[in-house]
Amino acid sequence: MNKDHTKILLADDDEDDRMIFTDAFKEVKINTKVDVVKDGNELMDFLKEPENDLPDVLFLDLNMPCKSGVECLAEIKSDERLKDMAIVIYSTSASEKDIEDTFVKGANVYLQKPSDFGVLKKLLSEVIIMNWQYQTSGLNRDNFLLSL
Amino acid sequence: MNIMNFKAFFLSSSFLKIIFTVALFALILIAGISYRHTNAVAESGKWVIRTHEVQKELEQLLSQLRDAETGQRGYIITKDSVFLEPYNKAIAEYGKSFSSVKNLVANNNQQQINLNALSKLIQLRISILDSNLSTPYQINTSVLKQRMLRGKLVMDEIRLQIKVMDDLENKYLSNRKKNLEKESYLTPIFTLLLVFFSILIFLFSFLKINNDIGLLKKTNEELKINAETMSQAEEIGDFSNWQWNLATEKYIFSDNLYRFLGCEPQSFEANLENFLSFIHPDDRHLLIEGTEKVLNEGKTSTHIFRIIRKDGEIVYTKSVSKLLTDAIGKKIVIGITTNITKDYLHSQSLSEMNKELAESNAELSSFNYVASHDLQEPLRKIQTFISRIADNDLQNMSESGREYFIKIETATNRMRQLINDLLLFSKANKAESVFEETDLNILLENAKQELAQIIDEKNAIIHEVTLPTLQVIPFQIQQIFTNLISNSLKYSKPYVKPVIDITCALIDEKAAADIKLLTNKKYYKFTFKDNGLGFEQEYAEKIFVLFKRLHDSSAYPGTGIGLSICKKIIDNHSGFINTQSTLGKGATFTFYLPA
Repeated sequence: MNKDHTKILLADDDEDDRMIFTDAFKEVKINTKVDVVKDGNELMDFLKEPENDLPDVLFLDLNMPCKSGVECLAEIKSDERLKDMAIVIYSTSASEKDIEDTFVKGANVYLQKPSDFGVLKKLLSEVIIMNWQYQTSGLNRDNFLLSL
Repeated sequence: MNIMNFKAFFLSSSFLKIIFTVALFALILIAGISYRHTNAVAESGKWVIRTHEVQKELEQLLSQLRDAETGQRGYIITKDSVFLEPYNKAIAEYGKSFSSVKNLVANNNQQQINLNALSKLIQLRISILDSNLSTPYQINTSVLKQRMLRGKLVMDEIRLQIKVMDDLENKYLSNRKKNLEKESYLTPIFTLLLVFFSILIFLFSFLKINNDIGLLKKTNEELKINAETMSQAEEIGDFSNWQWNLATEKYIFSDNLYRFLGCEPQSFEANLENFLSFIHPDDRHLLIEGTEKVLNEGKTSTHIFRIIRKDGEIVYTKSVSKLLTDAIGKKIVIGITTNITKDYLHSQSLSEMNKELAESNAELSSFNYVASHDLQEPLRKIQTFISRIADNDLQNMSESGREYFIKIETATNRMRQLINDLLLFSKANKAESVFEETDLNILLENAKQELAQIIDEKNAIIHEVTLPTLQVIPFQIQQIFTNLISNSLKYSKPYVKPVIDITCALIDEKAAADIKLLTNKKYYKFTFKDNGLGFEQEYAEKIFVLFKRLHDSSAYPGTGIGLSICKKIIDNHSGFINTQSTLGKGATFTFYLPA
């Protein structure tokens, strides 16, 4: 995180959510560069293209057509080059099954999409200033689900 | 221990065999001795008669000579020829008596020598008599006297010779009697002993046989009772037994096994081939492999197979078989076959219920996911935008605008509340549906009417066949028809007139095997084939998953629920649904419903 900006990548099929997400980062006072992809296939293509810089943090929606977030997660974790990337699950769902599933498959943080823009901004900045060293080495089920 | 051994030997059947062999030899011995003895007695009787005959003939001979002598004497004295009559008769007949004696002593050298001597004496006597008669008047008295004297001497010699022969015969007779007595002295005692011995043996055998028969009767009674008990037990317990003698290749099937097969007891020959013909063709290998396991590894083998009864009914049976080797190495495979149809069908329906339960649980959690994710998503967005407007733009609005905005916010919050409540409700409630005998043609017609507007708009053509009347949940089947048709219309190719082919057929066993149907139910196969966009076959299973969509929502609006509902309905009807498609070449949806 010692660069001039933090590279953020969001994979979400919903246009409105992508807009809300990018708007939120514009208003957060942290130097970030946000890229977006529209579904799982596009995400994997982006990550596997060697010319693209890998993001510092990947925000991954779960329910996407053709290739779901969970499938992407599994694919990333089985790829030697990608597996150490910080992954934040970014989903409307807060079902136990989804949380358990993604935790087991190696996601670092589970962020439920809030219904308040102010709350979203706070959550996103918290994720970015998080001590990733700690978060990626000692996975902890108790603080996996991020909330205010 | 020895007494036990003896008792065991006494009771064994070889004991009886030995007794009978001994008795048989004793009888043959008795018969032999008796035959020999009887022969000897008959022989000596013959000898006694012969002796008496010889003596009688000799007596006769002497008497004839005396007659001749007397006749001749009378003639000489009286000169009357009437006295020549006995003389002539005696001369004529003595030869007969002589040859009789000769015949009787033909085998005896001593008597033959004696007889030859006698013969010479007789010839001499007769020649003297003849000479006396031929010249009775010419000879003087002194000559006659001399001749008569000589005749008397010869006659004395004859008498002596006959006596010698007579005595010899008497001696023979007494010798033979002595021999016979000596010979038959031991025989009666020996015979008596043997007879007693035989009687003893037969008595012993009789006792033994009697004892055996008693035992046999008792055992037979017990066996009868056991067999009856077994037969009753088989009927009550719904099982049967069979035996297979490996040496003789003979089979024994119990009565109840025949009843399992739907046949009269013992109505056909018990053998493997006949039994196999009743076993479901798919299960025959199980029995054959099981039997091989028993024969090769000597293990107890258990297998479950289906029997197709004579009346076509399918019976599920469990068979346990075992190889037995008796004391003399005779090998028999025995087995018990139990009718487990009830248990099997019960466990079958249990597992079906379990499957349903698992499915409905999965469905429920799927619904939970839907409620917590897909319904909340648009709502969350609305709320997010509301919060942004509230943060940035609320102060710029008019008074009434702010008022309406507050109302929107309130209604949205209420909607979230409703969704949450709905979720809770869905967790608690489970819909119940009723199966009814329904004409599917009517349901298809209803579905078409439901979709009449869009069919009209798209100028779609639907080819259909006559559908059967089935036991179904009517509104659910109509829902399938509606969903499949509307699905085809929605994903039709632009500028191509949509054509939907609907077919329906009762499928045979072979087709059923293709979709791996394990039950013996019959199924109707329905197909809905369109000429639309189609999709890649790899998504064929995914499209039935709740909320799974292959297209993005702006191009083809939809919820992703339709096909999941179809699958759910087919599951409710214990049927199957699948789909085949090639991208750009239309899709075919196939589902099976129990007939």
